[in-house]
Amino acid sequence: MSTDKVEKNPEIIGFACLYCTFKASEMAGSLRLKYPEGIRLIQVPCSSRVDPAFVLKAIFEGADGVFVAGCHPGDCHFIKGNYFTRRKIAALKEMLDTFNMKEKIRLFWVSAAEARRFVDKVTTMYNEIKERKNVREKG
Amino acid sequence: MLGKKVKNGAIEDALNRFLKEKDKNKLVIGFEDKENGVFLRAFGDHVENFSLFNPFFGINNALHFRRLFSKGTKIILLLRPCEIRAYVELIKLSQIEREDIIAVSIDCPGTISSKSINNNIPLEAKKLKEYLEGNDMLRWACKTCREKRGVVGDAGIRIDQDGFAWAVPYNNKGDDFLSLIDGELEEINVGMLISESKRIDKFQSEMDKFYEDFSKCIMCKNCRDMCPVCYCIDCVFNGDEYLPKGDALLNKILRSGTVQLPQGKELFHFIRMYHVSQTCVGCGACEEACPQGIPLTRYFKGISERLQDMFSYMSGRDFEESIPYLTFIEDELKDAAD
Repeated sequence: MSTDKVEKNPEIIGFACLYCTFKASEMAGSLRLKYPEGIRLIQVPCSSRVDPAFVLKAIFEGADGVFVAGCHPGDCHFIKGNYFTRRKIAALKEMLDTFNMKEKIRLFWVSAAEARRFVDKVTTMYNEIKERKNVREKG
Repeated sequence: MLGKKVKNGAIEDALNRFLKEKDKNKLVIGFEDKENGVFLRAFGDHVENFSLFNPFFGINNALHFRRLFSKGTKIILLLRPCEIRAYVELIKLSQIEREDIIAVSIDCPGTISSKSINNNIPLEAKKLKEYLEGNDMLRWACKTCREKRGVVGDAGIRIDQDGFAWAVPYNNKGDDFLSLIDGELEEINVGMLISESKRIDKFQSEMDKFYEDFSKCIMCKNCRDMCPVCYCIDCVFNGDEYLPKGDALLNKILRSGTVQLPQGKELFHFIRMYHVSQTCVGCGACEEACPQGIPLTRYFKGISERLQDMFSYMSGRDFEESIPYLTFIEDELKDAAD
């Protein structure tokens, strides 16, 4: 397959908090900032709505990476939702680390005003996963 | 440590004394020594053939007490430490009302699988411990047990080096339990038969190893049904959302291509592993229930210990410690975000 020059594009599922990251992604759109097509956002009312079961389901049903994004700690619309997210996703990372799959999951803090930060974060993640994916395909 | 020395048969007398006073409905739940093995029994009016130890592990008996809201019935539970720990976790998850229940944990010399029940096993602490260790029959979960000592729950029954039992209270309810037993509280100066457990190495695995181990899984979900802390009535795996069947499965296959059947093994075990990670007591009931002999304990216990260590938590250690996912500290996990 090494002669095959078609690069595989990864698919990334993002769980984005309605009050910040999702707003940031909308703002990125209105600022005409580009981020990769393979990123699919799922809007959630708060990042703590994300049961790690959703993340695991996404991973085992074919997603190359999953990110959970919420407001910066302390800025949650529901006061303390993202503190729970932080604990849950940190534990999930530790669990995936046991199986050497830690690179598949990310946790971002992006506020509604940080469109550029959002684009930076997701593009970096996309490129890293794409690189890894293509190396593995060739190997 | 203050405790009461318990003479031979004194526990049985104390429990009978407890059941005799008929001011309220009363129950004693503990192990009964029968001809063909040792079993759990709820004693209603008279305690007979009572046994402190049950060397045969079939299920974690805390399973029976899920959604137990005792309605004024006074209950004394005398169980293994792993079962009392699961009971404590269920209290934290508001699946049990602890008001009228006195939970007593008993030092556990270890257990063997209930599949190999036999009559040769002695039921005295010292002999039992020697027998189990001498014959190397212990279940893997018991070899790597995190808390074999009866130091959890409201009171504990500890066994000293010479094989004598001591009752030790840990809170007010424990004092109530001790008041049933004859004798005076005294300082315990002798060493205990069962010492603190050693920690096992940090669990590390690979997906390939996981697929190899779980290839035999038939998705009967017995491990979930027999898990004492897997308590949800509406489990996410009921229904078609996570594990589609029939038409829903057909749709999924048409959408995503080749699928191994029964599908969703890794999804089921990973999600369950995560959901019980902070409450898992490592009793190995899942492995006992597995018809295919998959080494489930290795994974579930390994993962849960890693995840509990992150928050310096230990399931069932304390009634007051709250489950890590249900609480937080503002200033922690600085490197969690990428």
